[in-house]
Amino acid sequence: MELFKAKTHIDFVRSMPFMVALSVAVIAASLLSIAVRGFNFSIDFVGGTVIDVQVPANATGTVDEGRMRTILDKLNQHDATIVRLGALDDREFRISLRGSQEEDRDLSVNILKAMNQDFGTEVVTKSVDSVGPRVGGELRRAGVLAILLSWIGILAYVWLRFEWQYAPGAVLALIHDVCFTAGLFSIFGWEFDMNVLAALLVIIGYSMNDTIVIYDRIRETVATRGTTELESVVNEAINATLSRTVLTSGLTQLVVVALLFLGGPVLRGFALALFIGILVGTYSSIYIASAVLIWLSRRYGHPVEAKKPERRARATRATS
Amino acid sequence: MTLRSRWIMIGAVTVMMVWLALPSFLPAPKAGEEHWWLPKKGMRLGLDLQGGIHWLLRVDQDAAVKRELEKVQSSIADAASDGKIELKSGEVKGDQLFLHGDVPGLRKLVEANAPNVDVDEEEGALVLKLKERWKRDAVERGAATALEVLRRRVDSVGVSEPIIAPQGNGRILVQMPGMKDPAAARQLIQATTFLEFKLVLDAAPNEEVLKAKYPKGIPDDQEIVTNANEGRKGKESEALLVPKKAVLSGDMLEDARMSYDRRNRPIIEFTWNSEGAKVFRDFTGQNIGHRLAAIIDGKVITAPTIQSKIGRNGEITGDFTRDEANNTAVQLRSGALPIPLVLEEERSVGPSLGADSIRDGVHASLVGAGLVFLFMGIYYSVTGMFANLALVVNVVILIGLMSSAGATMTLPGIAGVVLTVGMAVDSNVIIYERIREELRSGKTPRAAIGVGYARSFWTIFDAHVTALLSSVILFLIGRGPVQGFGVTLTIGLLASMFTALVVTRTLMDTVYGNHPERLRI
Repeated sequence: MELFKAKTHIDFVRSMPFMVALSVAVIAASLLSIAVRGFNFSIDFVGGTVIDVQVPANATGTVDEGRMRTILDKLNQHDATIVRLGALDDREFRISLRGSQEEDRDLSVNILKAMNQDFGTEVVTKSVDSVGPRVGGELRRAGVLAILLSWIGILAYVWLRFEWQYAPGAVLALIHDVCFTAGLFSIFGWEFDMNVLAALLVIIGYSMNDTIVIYDRIRETVATRGTTELESVVNEAINATLSRTVLTSGLTQLVVVALLFLGGPVLRGFALALFIGILVGTYSSIYIASAVLIWLSRRYGHPVEAKKPERRARATRATS
Repeated sequence: MTLRSRWIMIGAVTVMMVWLALPSFLPAPKAGEEHWWLPKKGMRLGLDLQGGIHWLLRVDQDAAVKRELEKVQSSIADAASDGKIELKSGEVKGDQLFLHGDVPGLRKLVEANAPNVDVDEEEGALVLKLKERWKRDAVERGAATALEVLRRRVDSVGVSEPIIAPQGNGRILVQMPGMKDPAAARQLIQATTFLEFKLVLDAAPNEEVLKAKYPKGIPDDQEIVTNANEGRKGKESEALLVPKKAVLSGDMLEDARMSYDRRNRPIIEFTWNSEGAKVFRDFTGQNIGHRLAAIIDGKVITAPTIQSKIGRNGEITGDFTRDEANNTAVQLRSGALPIPLVLEEERSVGPSLGADSIRDGVHASLVGAGLVFLFMGIYYSVTGMFANLALVVNVVILIGLMSSAGATMTLPGIAGVVLTVGMAVDSNVIIYERIREELRSGKTPRAAIGVGYARSFWTIFDAHVTALLSSVILFLIGRGPVQGFGVTLTIGLLASMFTALVVTRTLMDTVYGNHPERLRI
C-alpha cells in the first residue's frame, strides 16, 4: 500500500515567504502571551500544595465543595481552589494551594487532619504534592537551562555534521516549535507542569529528526546538482522525503493520541504538548529550517563541494 | 559478518534481554527462595506507580549555624573559666555570637580555641561569626548525621526498599514505597526526639502559680516544663521546676521499645548503656523519695516519685496510645535529629492512584503500539512485519537493559516506552521509503535494498544523536518521574539504532537474499 503513489511536486519554496511571515506573527503572539499572561504553572514550578482526597460514604453531612471551603477557611487557607474530580458519587476532590511563599511543613497534614475531624471519618488520601518555593524556582531555572542547552547542543552538532549555513535554520525551527507549543499553553491557560517541560524537550528531539532527514537529502542533492538552483533542489528534497515525514509524524501521533485519550489524567498535559509539538515540528522542519537555509546560502554562499557524510564506517554491509 | 553470525548475535541479545527482564515481571521471591538462574534485580516501580511518599529535605542552615556557634560558646566558656578570664555573658543572635566581658582576653581565647570564626568587636562586646567555609561544613555535617538518623528511623518503621540519599547542599532525598499516611510519616522527621531525666525541684498546678512562688525570678540554671497531658480530659496539668542540665539524656540509651504494663496499657521500656546505667543507679539511689521527670522533646511525659534504686532497665508510663508509644520508642532508639529539617518537596501517592496510573499507562501504550503495528503491517506488508518484529526486539532490549540497571519505571517512563516505539519506527520508514524510491527509479530489488540501507545510515545516525542529546538533558535535569522518562527514552533510542539497522536488515537478507524478486514493500 502507498499513500504517495506518484512523486509529489509541491512547490514548498514558493509559499515559504508567506509561511515564514505567518510563523513570525504566531510566534510574536505566543511570546506576547508568555510575557503578559505568563504560564499557568503547576506547583512543580511555583511551589504550593495539591491534595487529592476521596471522602468515604460514611462521612457525616453533605459532601461538597462548600463544605471543603469551610474546612479550609477555618485553617485560614482562603486562596485554595477546590475542584471535584470524577463523578458526583466518587466524592473526590482536588484542593490546590498554589504559590505558597513559606515552607509550611505541616500544611498538608493539618488539612487532612481537619477533614478527618470534620467528616467524622478517615478521608482517603489519593495523593499529596507539596513543593517549596525554593525547589520550584530551581526547577524553573533548570527547565529553561535544559531547553537552552539542547538548542546550543543541536546548533553545534548540525554545524559539525553539515555546513554552517544549515545550523541556524535547524535551531530556529526548534525555537519556533518550543515557542509555539509553550505559547498555546500560555494563551489557553493550560497547566504547565514538569511533564509538559519534558514534552518540550522530546519535541526538540523529534522535530530535529524531521529537519535532519530533509537537510540530509538537500545535501545529497546539492552534491549532484550544485547550488545554482538551490530552490528547486530544496523543493525536490522536501518532496522526496515528504512521504516519510508524513508517515512518521502520523505514526508517532497514533501513539500520542492513544496517550492523550487513554493515558489517564497525569499524562494528559504531556500528551497534549507532544501532539501540538509534533504537528508544528513537522511544519517547521519543512518551512522554517529550509527557508533559513536558502536565505543564508543566497546571502553567504553555499559550498558546492558539500561535506560528504563518511561512508567508511558503515554499520551494515551487504553480505549476501 | 555473515548472515549466520548476525542471527546468532540477534538471538543471543534477545535471549539475554528477556532473561534480564524476567525479575521485573515475576513476583518478588521470598528470602531464601530465590531462583539461582534468575538475575537478582529488576526494574523498580516508581512511587507514582506503586504508591508511597517522596521527600526532599533540607538541613536548616540557620539552625546549623546557630548550633555551631553554641558549641563555640560553650568551649570558650570552659576555656574562660579555666584561664580565669572574665566572661559575663554570651548569647547567639541570628548568625552572630556576642560575648561580653574581658574583651581582649576573650579575643585571645577565641583565636586560640576557635579557628572556625571571624572575630570582630562591637560596642564593648566580642562578635563572632562563622566563616563561610565552616557554615557549609556545618550544613554538610548536619546532613550527614540527619541521613543516618533518618535511615535508622525509616528502617525501624519497616519500609521495604527505601531510598535515603544525600543530594548535596545539605539536601536529602527520601523515598518510602508503600508508605500511605503522610501524617504518620511526619513523625520520622520530627526535629528532635530527645529523652531527658531531670530531678523535680518544685511543682505547681500551672506555670503562673509556680512563677508566683519565685518573686525574684527563676534561677538561671533552672527552667519550667509543663505536662504533656495538658488539655486532655481527666488529666491534671502540672508545671514543674527542673534544672536545665539533665541527669541523663537519650544519647546514653542503648535501646527503647514499646511494651505493655500489667493493665495492658502501652508503655516505653528503655535500657541504658553501661555508662548511663551507672549514672542512673547512683542518682536514683541518692534521691529516693524525690520526683524524677521523664521529658521527651521538652514535654513532661511522666514524673513519678523514685521508690528505689533503678539500674539498667526502666520504663516510662505515660498516657500513650499504641502508635504514640511505638513511634516515640523508634525515635528514642534512633537518636535525635541534631538540626531541624525543612521539608522542601513532598509527593505522596496512594496505592489506588498508582494502580490506576499503571492500568491507564499500559492500556494506552498497548493501543498506541497496536495501531503502529497494524499500520506498518498493512502499509509495508511483509517488510512491515519485519519492522514490527524489530520494534518488539527494541522493547525487549529496552526493558532488559532497564531491569539490569535496576532503573525505575515511572508513568512518564511507560509513555517513554511507547514513544520509543513511535520514534523507532521512524528509522524503518526512512529506510523503506528510500528503498521504494530506488525501486521506482528502476533499480533491481537487491540494489534498492543495499542503497536504501546505505543511504539511510547517516540520516538515522544524525537523527538519533540529536534526539539523544535532548533525552540525556532530560535525564540530567529531570526529577523523579520525568527523570525516569529520560532514562527510558535514552536507552530506547540506543536500542532502536540496533534494531532498525541490524535486525530488519538481517530479516531482509534472510528472506530476500536469494530471491530479491519476492521483495514486497
